[in-house]
Amino acid sequence: MVSRAMIPLLVCALAVASGAQTFGVDLNNRPVTQLVSPGSRAAVLFFLASDCPISNRYIPEIQRLEHNFAPQGIQFWWVYPNPDETTAKIQRHQEQFHIHTNVVIDNKQRLTTMARATITPEVAIFVPVGSRLREVYHGRIDNRYLALGRQRPAATRHDLEDALSALTANRPVATPGGQPVGCSIIPRSAP
Amino acid sequence: MRILLPASLALFACIAVGFSPWRAAVRAAETPVTWSRHIAPIVYRNCAACHHLGGPGPFSLLSYADGRRHGQQILDVTQSRYMPPWLPAPGYGDFAGERRLSAEDLALIRRWVTSGMAEGNPADAPPEPHFGTTWQMGKPDLILSVNRPWTLPGSGADTFRNFVLPYPLAQTHFIRAMEIRPGTPQVVHHANILIDRTASYRHEHPDWKDGVAGMELELDGGNTFDPDSHFLFWKPDTPVLEEPNGMPWRLDPGNDLILNMHLKPSGKPETIDAQIGLYFTDKPPTRHPMLLQLEDDRDLDIPAGARDFVAHDEFTLPIDVELLGIYPHAHYLGRELEAWAILPEGKKKWLIRIPSWDIDRQAVYRYRAPVLLPHGTVIHMHYVYDNSDQNIHNPNSPPLRVRAGNRSVDEMAHLWLQVLPINVPKGSPDPRLLLEQAWMEHRLHQQPGDSVALYNLASAEAGLGHNAQAIAAYRAILRDHPDDLRSLNSVGVALESTGNGQEAEQAFRQAIAAGPGSCDPRFNLASLDLKQSKFQDAEPQFRTMLAHCPNDVAAHNGLGIALAAEGNNSSAQSEFKSALALNPQDFTAQYQLGEIAIAAGRPADAIDFLSAASKERPEDIDTRQRLAMAFAQSGRPADALAQLRESERLSPKNVGLHALLSQVLAGMGQLQQAIDEQDEALRLQPQDPDGWNNLGVLEARIGKTSAARADFQQALQLAPKHAQARANLSQLPPQ
Repeated sequence: MVSRAMIPLLVCALAVASGAQTFGVDLNNRPVTQLVSPGSRAAVLFFLASDCPISNRYIPEIQRLEHNFAPQGIQFWWVYPNPDETTAKIQRHQEQFHIHTNVVIDNKQRLTTMARATITPEVAIFVPVGSRLREVYHGRIDNRYLALGRQRPAATRHDLEDALSALTANRPVATPGGQPVGCSIIPRSAP
Repeated sequence: MRILLPASLALFACIAVGFSPWRAAVRAAETPVTWSRHIAPIVYRNCAACHHLGGPGPFSLLSYADGRRHGQQILDVTQSRYMPPWLPAPGYGDFAGERRLSAEDLALIRRWVTSGMAEGNPADAPPEPHFGTTWQMGKPDLILSVNRPWTLPGSGADTFRNFVLPYPLAQTHFIRAMEIRPGTPQVVHHANILIDRTASYRHEHPDWKDGVAGMELELDGGNTFDPDSHFLFWKPDTPVLEEPNGMPWRLDPGNDLILNMHLKPSGKPETIDAQIGLYFTDKPPTRHPMLLQLEDDRDLDIPAGARDFVAHDEFTLPIDVELLGIYPHAHYLGRELEAWAILPEGKKKWLIRIPSWDIDRQAVYRYRAPVLLPHGTVIHMHYVYDNSDQNIHNPNSPPLRVRAGNRSVDEMAHLWLQVLPINVPKGSPDPRLLLEQAWMEHRLHQQPGDSVALYNLASAEAGLGHNAQAIAAYRAILRDHPDDLRSLNSVGVALESTGNGQEAEQAFRQAIAAGPGSCDPRFNLASLDLKQSKFQDAEPQFRTMLAHCPNDVAAHNGLGIALAAEGNNSSAQSEFKSALALNPQDFTAQYQLGEIAIAAGRPADAIDFLSAASKERPEDIDTRQRLAMAFAQSGRPADALAQLRESERLSPKNVGLHALLSQVLAGMGQLQQAIDEQDEALRLQPQDPDGWNNLGVLEARIGKTSAARADFQQALQLAPKHAQARANLSQLPPQ
């Protein structure tokens, strides 16, 4: 498990080597320049879409994890990657689903590219290494969905929660046991 | 070379000829697949019913932008046949509203997505379908709403909740169509509506106003044979349930509708404030379907890890039926659900096959054309369950031993069928009783101690007039449950039907002792008293009953009849008026009030009441005769005559009617017609001295003296002491 997890880490460590870049904008159109605040140990990027029923269904689960892990120095980001999201749509979505914490509109899809996210819902965890960010986890949240239309009554394996527990306990983080399932992220450069 | 050259030319020719279709295909492939020309028609036809703004689908798919946004998803879910939702395998039953994309449609979607999802020329697209945001069939005749909106939590497993919607009207109505508006359709997998004839669920759950958690529910069907007849099943793509002609369903005062909803959390709390819109028809049903159930719950004991656990049931049809719809039902462990019929000649006919069951997408399937199943057909239910960890729907991880039950972690093996009895011989009993009888005998064969089946069997036997069998079955229940109020009451009714009033009375008294507040046995005891002219005994029983059930129309009428018989017409009138206040269409109350008005010399009132009564029961001759009497008393002989003529049409061989007509016609001076009617009466009943005497009087009046003489002599021959005939004869001029 550990050795398999090492491979993407190395790749990412090479891929993300930026000191003072911007990652997108917040709801006030201010650039987001820092994903991991001083004193925090990691950032979780949760990719969601206002019109994706599956990422919507995961919002309470992410809120639960945020509630449990934020006090342990894990910073959660609610990342809207799709080019058709507008500030108004996102604000409405935030109100409906009671999302009150960090929001990033991934207007250049930098975070999407950085996390290699293709689906909402999908998550990635980054830890700071000096001035760089290193990805330690990327993929699904749990195993409730096996495919569109194939889902368990409840998850039996909580990949993201296990990863966060490992991270906060300074244990190696395992890769998720399966692919994320949900709605495709619309590529910004699509024709 | 000289040999090779023609050969290679020949080969070329072959390619040219042989591959010309291929080249055409290549040309077609080169024609770009576009949203407007190819995809929008498929989506509008198959997806838009749910996927429109405000619809039950999670997102709209009406515009090109929508389609492009969800293109990859559309590709994935159509290729896997997750969408459109359709579980039955093709070729195993021909169902109405089939939602199954053709191979051509699937290929077009694949090519569209993989080639970059072009829009094409918007002018090529069909017009966007329009979906109303209000009731689809216009304003319903009655709208029922859940008592208190309920909030579905944003997360967690699927939820099953039952909402009680009491039917608030004081009249019976027939329902031709129903629309369910679930409030937030996006979170409703499906919903089932059950009719609770006895409000049993509400009584069982005093806190029903907030809805009651639970996947399955059992209702008390009451004491009379009134089988469930319709599937009232809602799924997202069919918001309106319209019943076929002649097959409306019925709601009576005091009934409840139970809305059983399967809800999926959306990620945020959702308000469930469902509404049910009902559309009435004045026309009562002319065709009476019935729901039958095959089941094998008793055998469901599925070991943890079992992958191919089988449940099976089979039922032989006692009569010819048309199968109209089918509803297979299992919970999360069900994998393959199949049903077929073995026709009397031995041929196998598939009824349905669901190779990959998914409770979330369960549905009622209605056949495009009714499926004829002659009597002697054996219907089979064959279900396979997977209780391993390979079954992703398994609610237990790791798997546990699972048995039958009503919770979502329990299992079920049910197959419901909507059947319509056909080829029913004229004059035979309600064919549904024969179905019920066979069904319950089948259940008792499987589970001999099943007291519900025994009770239902007894009721069916009673309905078929097999009182001895019914009494034996009720007594079998009473051996184990001597205080079972319902069986005591029912055995009393069956005993009364055999003329055994004494034992019937005893059974009713035992039932009253078992449940002093129960109204049925007290009503039956009081009615028995009425039949035996024990009016003073009946009166206090009806009064006690009304203290418990003040809104019972029949009890008000019974008390009224007892009071009238005791000579207390004014108290009787007030009881009948109470009955009419509860049900303005009640026949008995109108008829009795008409009777009282005639007796009191108020023919105008009598005409009002009896006309209303006759409207309720147009074929009741007695009512028409009394109405004719009221018309005659009011000096309206022509109206009286019309009532009698209509009665005569309904019952041409009714002697009294011809005699009465004769009298009315004579009163109107139409003597020849009066004679014809009296002739007819005597043709039907020649041994009637009064009839001959009356005929003689009429003959005398038109001067046919010798005919009159013969009539009076005939009367005297039949009744030598007939004083009137003798007097009439003596008054004739001498021969």
